[in-house]
Amino acid sequence: MTIAATIPAPQVATQGADGRNTGKRSVEPILKTENLWKLYHAGRVEVPALRGVNFEVLPGESVAVMGPSGCGKSSLLYVIGGLAKASRGKVLVDGNDLTELSDAARTKLRRSKIGFVFQRFNLLPTLTAKGNIAIAQYIHGDGFDPHRFDVVTKMLGLGGRLSHKPSEMSGGEQQRVAIARAIINEPKILLADEPTGNLDTKNSEVVLQMLRQLNKDLGQTIVMITHNPEAVTNFDRVVHMRDGVIVDGVPAD
Amino acid sequence: MMGELIVRNLFHRPVRTFIGILAIAVEVSLVVLVVGLVTGLLAETAKRIEGVGADIVVQPPAASILLGFSGAPMPIKIADKLKELKYVQDVAPTLLQSNSAGGVEVIYGIDPESFRAVSGGFVFLAGHDFEGPNDILVDDWAARAKRLKVGDSYNLFNNDWHVAGIVEHGKGARVFVPIATLQDLIGAHDKASIFWIKCTRPEHTDDLMADIGRELPGYTVRPIKEMLSIYTSTNIPGLQIFIDAMIALAVSIGLLVIFLTMYTTVIERTRDIGVLKSLGANSPFIVRTLLMESALLCLAGIAAGVGLSYAARSVFLQIFPTLSIRITPEWILRAGVIALLGTVVGASYPAWVASKKDAVEALTFD
Repeated sequence: MTIAATIPAPQVATQGADGRNTGKRSVEPILKTENLWKLYHAGRVEVPALRGVNFEVLPGESVAVMGPSGCGKSSLLYVIGGLAKASRGKVLVDGNDLTELSDAARTKLRRSKIGFVFQRFNLLPTLTAKGNIAIAQYIHGDGFDPHRFDVVTKMLGLGGRLSHKPSEMSGGEQQRVAIARAIINEPKILLADEPTGNLDTKNSEVVLQMLRQLNKDLGQTIVMITHNPEAVTNFDRVVHMRDGVIVDGVPAD
Repeated sequence: MMGELIVRNLFHRPVRTFIGILAIAVEVSLVVLVVGLVTGLLAETAKRIEGVGADIVVQPPAASILLGFSGAPMPIKIADKLKELKYVQDVAPTLLQSNSAGGVEVIYGIDPESFRAVSGGFVFLAGHDFEGPNDILVDDWAARAKRLKVGDSYNLFNNDWHVAGIVEHGKGARVFVPIATLQDLIGAHDKASIFWIKCTRPEHTDDLMADIGRELPGYTVRPIKEMLSIYTSTNIPGLQIFIDAMIALAVSIGLLVIFLTMYTTVIERTRDIGVLKSLGANSPFIVRTLLMESALLCLAGIAAGVGLSYAARSVFLQIFPTLSIRITPEWILRAGVIALLGTVVGASYPAWVASKKDAVEALTFD
């Protein structure tokens, strides 16, 4: 029997107080997994990291995934982000089934639809903040878009730090650069893997505030993995994972 | 953007970059200098042979084109026989003896009168012609290399010679001694190694060669123009193999250093490669980035190699003034292309490894 839990996306109002379409109801999920399995091989032994995960995220939704170490959170993030291939099941990103795609096609899809933010920032050490953001635009293929660049860097408060290298920036600044890099190409989904894991409380709050702002103001779909219960405040949903499956899914508030 | 990434990557590890550039520079300069030394010496030797002024050379049967290796198996009286031939203006019998003390050189034992008749005579920069049996003439390059001046004593073939004159270079050898004295010293009485023949008119060369062939069947008779054309690395036994081996060695050095440099680079940048993949960089992008970085490293190495070649040549010529090293644009270009190809080959495997890295493993690499 498959150990799986299906957590349907909540049905919420389609319009906010200002009448703006929030896109959170009766629409196709931007992200959906069906009976998703991920197996790793340790020698001849198969180690299941994901064991039949069913999971949906609607456009514009913010979802936090919590759970103990080793429960499969990061594996889920890597698979739905197209960095790792699923062993079984389906992963639908904006209607595209990642499990049916070749490595090259998954790379192309990741380039246009996914943005990553990592716990360890993962900025390229040789480039400045500006270079780290611009290279995402370059890889995306549209070249440097100064307008978009200005909007994003101003929103994240990076104006004065653009010529600095990662080694010259604080953790909070580095993570803001990483967020800017992740959203510069307007991805459909922002995947954040413990984005506050290497930050102090103050910087954590700044980063979380920015993620919230991205979600609320720009309607950015966010899936965030975290250990920190305080970090999930104001997220639309929090789901818990254990032993490779999602065990519940309740609104955070 | 890619250019910025590549340049900044190169500057990020300056010592490693410097070592890579140095390796390519050594590779390029090794190729340029080895080829330059060989072609320079051959061209300079050919030029000196041309400077003797003869139209035809006669050597013993199966004689080596390396003049000093032919010994002295011909009776000097052949000169008289040659002089009787139609179209012969002058004949200069010369005894050649190699001297390996302090470097390989060929000493010409000459009869001053006949050698002057063929060559038009020496241009004396100091001193005078032979006046005694132990007089020796050296050209200006040899005088500089051996630090000789007129009046000095110079030991050669266990004989103390008196430096009678310093002559302008370009008349066959760098050191000249009276033929009779050299014959005594090496036990080659009445023998000669080569006959330089001056035709009455250059257009008679072919006719005269035919006459000599009839008169001296089996002897090696060559027009001087042919002598000059065969002074190339491909005609000297083993020389081309030596050049090829040196080029292969140089390329191997460059290739291995680039391979190691880029391989360690890829390992060090494993996480960065994972980041690029997470941003959507595909395998060709990763390969292209690393190959372009290698190519830029190589271009810097080529530029440094050209500079190193000229610097090394300058140093060599200071130490060994009789050397001739020809650095030509053609061989600089060839050495550059060889280095670039070696670099691409050396960097290909690391680039391929980088492109095939698992993105998740790369991102979690410590």
